[in-house]
Amino acid sequence: MEILAQLVVSGIALGMIYGLIAFGYQLTFATSGTLNFGQGEALMLGALVGLTLVGHMSYWLMIPLVIVFGALQGIFVERVGVLPALKTKSEFGWIMTTISLAIIFKNVAENIWGHDDITFPSPLPTAPLQFFGIRVLPMEILVVVGALAIILAVELFNRKSIYGKAVVATSSDRDAAGLMGINTGMVITFSYALSSMTAAFAGVLIAPLTLTGATMGVVLGLKAFSVAIIGGLNSGMGVIVGGLILGIAETTTGYYISTGYKDVPGLLLLLLVLSIKPAGMFGKSVIKKV
Amino acid sequence: MLQIENLHAGYGKVEVLHGISVAVPKGKVVTLIGSNGAGKTTTMRAISGMIKPVSGNISLNGKNITGMTSSRIARSGLAHSPEGRRVFATLSVTDNLLLGAFPRLTYGRERGDVQGDLERVFELFPRLRERKSQLAGTLSGGEQQMLAMGRALMLNPDVLLLDEPSMGLAPLLVSEVFRIVSELKGRGITMLLVEQFAAAALNVADYGYVLENGRISCHGPADQLKNDPAVKAAYLGAAH
Ligand SMILES: Nc1ncnc2c1ncn2[C@@H]1O[C@H](COP(=O)(O)OP(=O)(O)OP(=O)(O)O)[C@@H](O)[C@H]1O
Ligand SMILES: [Mg+2]
Repeated sequence: MEILAQLVVSGIALGMIYGLIAFGYQLTFATSGTLNFGQGEALMLGALVGLTLVGHMSYWLMIPLVIVFGALQGIFVERVGVLPALKTKSEFGWIMTTISLAIIFKNVAENIWGHDDITFPSPLPTAPLQFFGIRVLPMEILVVVGALAIILAVELFNRKSIYGKAVVATSSDRDAAGLMGINTGMVITFSYALSSMTAAFAGVLIAPLTLTGATMGVVLGLKAFSVAIIGGLNSGMGVIVGGLILGIAETTTGYYISTGYKDVPGLLLLLLVLSIKPAGMFGKSVIKKV
Repeated sequence: MLQIENLHAGYGKVEVLHGISVAVPKGKVVTLIGSNGAGKTTTMRAISGMIKPVSGNISLNGKNITGMTSSRIARSGLAHSPEGRRVFATLSVTDNLLLGAFPRLTYGRERGDVQGDLERVFELFPRLRERKSQLAGTLSGGEQQMLAMGRALMLNPDVLLLDEPSMGLAPLLVSEVFRIVSELKGRGITMLLVEQFAAAALNVADYGYVLENGRISCHGPADQLKNDPAVKAAYLGAAH
């Protein structure tokens, strides 16, 4: 029982990261019907830029800079990869462009930071804390708190501020939002900035717990994508639940079956959800709006 | 106030409007009559920037707005209550109304008394006040139509476009909609009105245009059109 509790707790931090990246997928899908398939690379770039920055400053001072970097990187992806595809009404062009950009980002990162994984200095003590016999790393607590804080901040912005409402309106009916005087093109660019920003932030949250390197984003981005599908691309909190389910499924499988199979439950869950409820467990409607 | 000259517009390669000219003078109500598919909605969309005109000229208060994005046109003072209501389903009634005033709450347009205007919309549509926290998607069709009109009014527009405000409403609500249109007219709001009930539209309007297959076939003062035998036969038949 104690072991299971320990596995669940360890799965939570990882699950929150999946949830946070999946949340980023949702942000752009809501406003534009498109996704950045380079979300994992946005995370990787955030982590590596953060790594370089912590050589010159504290972890806490680095975070706002990485957030700004993530936002700019998102704007770049939208302007270069997504906007041209949307303009030409190319239905699937953005899939190719965001994947291509992801590959380019990975290559650039390999050239700047090398091929090897690097340890990221932990800003918090690395000795685990004990709660009722369960060991928790301080960094794991920071991951959970940080992820929840940024998701809540975005939700609060959407509900309370007039600009946030403009984002929701654009998601609900883009043409009608334009009639309200809302610059919907800017809203989409903004959602890309926000999306990459959350990914970059997730990168510096997870980096001290794992290793950083040019390839760290590939698997994370893919798993978070399945979380976004499982949780529903249009249901706000579904991704957190989906992320936690996947994170916990992985740590428990890794322990009880074999670490070699730890990626299997997520994929099984994905297949299961897709065959039973294609809009996701918490999805409200069909995935593609027509 | 709103001046449309030789407007050509359509969808993709299909041209729907073949050079129409319409004038909406300040403080007047002008109605556009035509059968289904004549191009009334397309005209409205081209004016508000939902579709880009192919050629022609549209000016608002003497300012050329041809080809501008819909958001810039809205910020220039033109509100469009579109066909099919298009309310923001996942937002509350109040939030929908506030978004109608978006340019006044953010940038671009004279701010004025947004809270006071919200009150005035609630006075005009008491049903909306009763349901102000309800999500727009859960309103009845009639309530959504009121919301769409109220939302457009929140811009405090120089010109208001109303595309079939009575669409899909019960007869009692249809007369309510026309009562509201004449009340807005009484307040001096400049309007371009498209309505399936041509007779009622000509009763409230000052001037009318008849649109046939993307061309203006005739136009004139509303009283005159009402008594025009051809217009009577085609649009004011027993069905209305
Ligand atoms: N989004 C669109 N894409 C392609 N063609 C369209 C589109 N919307 C309308 N059309 C076509 O343009 C023509 C004019 O349509 P429009 O909606 O302007 O007519 P309308 O006068 O408003 O008719 P109604 O009284 O039925 O609302 C029609 O032939 C219609 O099929
Ligand atoms: Mg129409």
